[in-house]
Amino acid sequence: MRKRAMRINPDDNTGTALNDIEAGETISLVSKSGPVGEMTAKQAVPFGHKLAVIDIKKGDKILKYGEVIGIATQEISKGNYVHTHNVESTLVPGSKEVK
Amino acid sequence: MEFLGYERPDGSVGIRNHVAVISSGRCANEMAATIADAVQGAVPIIHTHPCVHLKDDNEKALRVLTGMGSNPNVAAVIVVGVGCENPSPGKIGEEIAKSKKPVEVLTVMQSNGFQSFMDQGLATARRMVAEASGMQRKPFPLSYLTVGVKCGGSGAISGIAGNSVTGMVFDRLVAEGGTTIFSETTEVIGADHLIAKRAVNEEVARKFREMVVRQEAMIKATGEDIRGTQPTRGNIAEGLVTIEEKSLGALAKTGTSPLQGALEYAEKPPGKGLYFMDGSAMTSELISGETAAGAHIHIYNVGGGVSSSFRCPPGWMGEIPIIPQIAVVSRQSKPRDSQEKDFFDIYADTIVEGTESVDEVADRLFKEIVAVASGKLTKREMRKGYREPIVLYSLGPIL
Repeated sequence: MRKRAMRINPDDNTGTALNDIEAGETISLVSKSGPVGEMTAKQAVPFGHKLAVIDIKKGDKILKYGEVIGIATQEISKGNYVHTHNVESTLVPGSKEVK
Repeated sequence: MEFLGYERPDGSVGIRNHVAVISSGRCANEMAATIADAVQGAVPIIHTHPCVHLKDDNEKALRVLTGMGSNPNVAAVIVVGVGCENPSPGKIGEEIAKSKKPVEVLTVMQSNGFQSFMDQGLATARRMVAEASGMQRKPFPLSYLTVGVKCGGSGAISGIAGNSVTGMVFDRLVAEGGTTIFSETTEVIGADHLIAKRAVNEEVARKFREMVVRQEAMIKATGEDIRGTQPTRGNIAEGLVTIEEKSLGALAKTGTSPLQGALEYAEKPPGKGLYFMDGSAMTSELISGETAAGAHIHIYNVGGGVSSSFRCPPGWMGEIPIIPQIAVVSRQSKPRDSQEKDFFDIYADTIVEGTESVDEVADRLFKEIVAVASGKLTKREMRKGYREPIVLYSLGPIL
């Protein structure tokens, strides 16, 4: 079986990796109801982490569950890893990666 | 859709038919347990509330014990006490009697001595069980059901697996005219603005926001700020990027229905649909509150990792003497022996494995709720033996 990522809401611009995904892999994108398509992961994405399922511009809202989970602090192209290096909370401004 | 339940005199419908022996205070726990354990069909409700609390906490305890006795899963009640407890055994009995079910109050102080008190307790329990056990289940629509939820041991997958599954089931129960309750005030912080937006009117939204503000103020008074510490480093390592994402993952279990009301801890919902209840994230406290609010069934969503690898002890999952708990697991750590595949009622790890969709697992959970409502025992209900007193939500100070 192909590795998969879950786009839990059709409005989301992120998908959650259901496997450890390696850079360059073709993965299956699934919705609540089942597979909805394929895409290429450009960067490695660990299990439970997210990747962009469409191109995201700097300042765009990051969507999961059909809701805003943060703001893109830089451009994130489709297939790239979405995490603390390119997302900031809308509620806790200036939140940065905790080392 | 229908389930098979027991009709109660106040018009509610129970899915279990227990005779509850309620201890009115910690000092009466052993007496309540001794009486209940000697009679098949009787369950003890023992707890940690002593008589050294102040008014607020005593009122909360009264609300919980009254609510437990009034819960439709209970056919009849014996309140036992030494006689000097606060809340008093008489007051607890009087409040439960408003639900029109049989209630007896027995205290050592009003008896002819300890042994005759115990004999009277046993005889009363046998009489009540004899009567209750003669009742028959009848079909009722799902609109009679109230279902509560709590998640624990959450990980990066909880939100898109178990919690999303529960959210879909909650929406389906509400569509059937039923009632659903979620709680954990600290968990909504970060997505509270989105819940408030779902309120049916401004009054409900205001009451909900007040409860969140009150909780945050209580936490800040101890010198901690929840918003600044979330998500934790562990959460970030698991893939959660902001407090919004963490809270939304927790709130996925509420579904998408409008918020009908914000209840105080252990307060009964005044209508049907989705309700929020103020409460901590401590499982035992929370389940006590939801049971007292009239929930028939509790769904416990376990994330995964270490929490999936042991047989969910009451100390962690909460002691729930009168309502069945359906345990759902989102991701199971690799079973080390065959026993470990037998800990939960619903295995939702198929979503991660790719053998089932969220829709399919939701359908399975929905059917399980109807089956359990009609009498099927949950894994937790089948266990006998070790029990813990239930924990009541108290804020102190204690005398």
